[in-house]
Amino acid sequence: MQQTPVLELSNLRKTIKGKAIVKGVNLTLYPSQIFGFLGPNGAGKTTTIRMIVGLIKPTEGSVKICGYSVTKDFVKALSNVGCIIESPDMYKYLTGMENLLQFAAMNKTISRQRVKDVVEMVGLQHRVNDKVSTYSLGMRQRLGIAQAILARPKLLILDEPTNGLDPAGITEFRTLIRKLAYEEGMTVFVSSHLLLEIQQMCDIVSIIKQGSVIKTAQVQEILKHNDKIEWQLNAPDKAISLLREHWKIEAIQLKKNTISADIGQHPLDKLNEFFIREGLALTYCSAKQNTLEDLFLDLTEGDEIV
Amino acid sequence: MKLFSLIENEVIKMISKKRLMFVFAILVVLISVFAYGQNHTTERTKAQLTQRMGIAATDDWRKLADQQLIDMKNRLDNPYRDEKDKSSLRVRIEQLQYNLDNNINPLEQSAAKFTTRFMEQSIFLFLPLLVIMLAADMVSGESSSGTIKLLLVRNVPRWKILLSKYLTLMILEVIILFFAFVLSVLISGFFFGFGGWLAPVATGFKVIAGKLDTSTVLNVPQWHYTLMVYSLAYFVAIVIGSISFMISILVKSTAASIGIIMSTLVAGNFISYFLSDWKITRYMFMVNLRLTDYLSGSFQPIEGMTMLFSISVLLGWTIASILVSFLYFTNQDILV
Ligand SMILES: Nc1ncnc2c1ncn2[C@@H]1O[C@H](COP(=O)(O)OP(=O)(O)O)[C@@H](O)[C@H]1O
Ligand SMILES: [Mg+2]
Repeated sequence: MQQTPVLELSNLRKTIKGKAIVKGVNLTLYPSQIFGFLGPNGAGKTTTIRMIVGLIKPTEGSVKICGYSVTKDFVKALSNVGCIIESPDMYKYLTGMENLLQFAAMNKTISRQRVKDVVEMVGLQHRVNDKVSTYSLGMRQRLGIAQAILARPKLLILDEPTNGLDPAGITEFRTLIRKLAYEEGMTVFVSSHLLLEIQQMCDIVSIIKQGSVIKTAQVQEILKHNDKIEWQLNAPDKAISLLREHWKIEAIQLKKNTISADIGQHPLDKLNEFFIREGLALTYCSAKQNTLEDLFLDLTEGDEIV
Repeated sequence: MKLFSLIENEVIKMISKKRLMFVFAILVVLISVFAYGQNHTTERTKAQLTQRMGIAATDDWRKLADQQLIDMKNRLDNPYRDEKDKSSLRVRIEQLQYNLDNNINPLEQSAAKFTTRFMEQSIFLFLPLLVIMLAADMVSGESSSGTIKLLLVRNVPRWKILLSKYLTLMILEVIILFFAFVLSVLISGFFFGFGGWLAPVATGFKVIAGKLDTSTVLNVPQWHYTLMVYSLAYFVAIVIGSISFMISILVKSTAASIGIIMSTLVAGNFISYFLSDWKITRYMFMVNLRLTDYLSGSFQPIEGMTMLFSISVLLGWTIASILVSFLYFTNQDILV
């Protein structure tokens, strides 16, 4: 791709009070990409985002937004960003609409009509004239997204955006993010500690742990770790050798009598039928949802093949 | 251009927070109490004088003034009074003498006199208090609510955000003084009548070596004097506003910044009372706030201080506060 990256992080580091919190993050994002920044609490996601939007200065490394350095060309760089950081804090003593008008007044390109449109986009039209102090966390989150997209930024950064949204809200949110990325051409940067959320929403993902990115990949690549099946049966060793010999399945783990295996394209019903035909007593079988912890185990220690 | 929108935003926030309403309410209550008290005191003084001298106080104020003069001179002769009290007594005697010579009735109350006196009495504690209530919240309020993050990730440089807040504060200080003025006139006018704006007032007193120097004294119309008092009050409001503003940036909690600046202010009153011999105290902003005392020739808090000295000290504090505010704010890491 020859176009200017929307976001370019190179060797970004932050040390606070002698403690290295972000340890050299590199990232390049292009228009219309939905990027997931995945990591457990305390991994350094918010700290990285604060550096991207210029709230804190990097100890080392640089941030470029649409080609402009955030430290040297703050105003130009930030003209292309909308964001929510950590929690959608708003002026509680103002109404939702008054909050949005505050931010609209800070940018001449935002018309009143745009404010109205954005309110409808996030589905807040019925409550927008109530004081924010009466809002639920979900409504504040919607208002937060509204203020972030007001100026049609090229880069939209959302830090844990689905906190406080109900399942229906999360689905709506996912649709909205797709629309912003694919129809309006925004690059969306979403941080989360929930694997599933990133899987369902993003194209690319970086996984961060203790301040270091341990993997950056297309979501499908990470997804493939997810069709793991678990079995409990009377003779696990026999089952493992059967899987190896008859089905050519190599990625198999054994933990406390539970076999888990990546079965790839093989149909599960056929596998189970086969076990029973071979005289194995099957007591439990489940398609396992991979958790973030499993993913870390996979990425850091490699598949522990028996 | 954008700066104007930013200031407008700040004003909207300030009004929505209802803090201005609160300031207004405090002023109404305090001025009413003060006006009632003033009325009461004047009546009593008149009655006392009438009783003592056997004439109606309003009829011949010159006689009363003469009597007061004699009273004060007697007190001056009392060998048990300390020197400091005496020199301030001497100042007052000389002033009264001056009033007599120029036919200025010191007993007569008016809305004009009250409005001026109210600000003279408020300038070192009450006015700063009101300013602190607004200033201490301007930045720390946004830090503690987390909204500072929203403000600082726009395509507006940090110094401009801060400047808009500072200018808003200066506008609010004008509004406070305007409230104080209008409420004083309206409420005291109810007690004393609305006139008195053209009556002559003596100003330009100088204290040289503990002695009142009347060589530069001149009469100005009351409105002129009032204007001078309110201008000085605005200056004090800016000083206190700037210092509170700085503290509200350095300390991220509103309660803590109000606490710090208020206790400093109150401590200043103790200092000027107990530690007036200690030279360094004169460089503290708290002991230099009674600027209007230099106009009326009342005794200064610490020997040797002049209007120019006090204004210079206050100006120094203001500039330093503004510098620290901007340097710190534009470079700090926002971690809330
Ligand atoms: N102001 C601070 N001072 C010291 N350490 C901090 C500060 N803020 C965050 N941290 C530490 O930095 C690490 C990363 O925090 P954060 O970026 O908020 O993680 P995440 O957003 O991924 O949950 C945490 O271990 C946290 O304790
Ligand atoms: Mg976080």
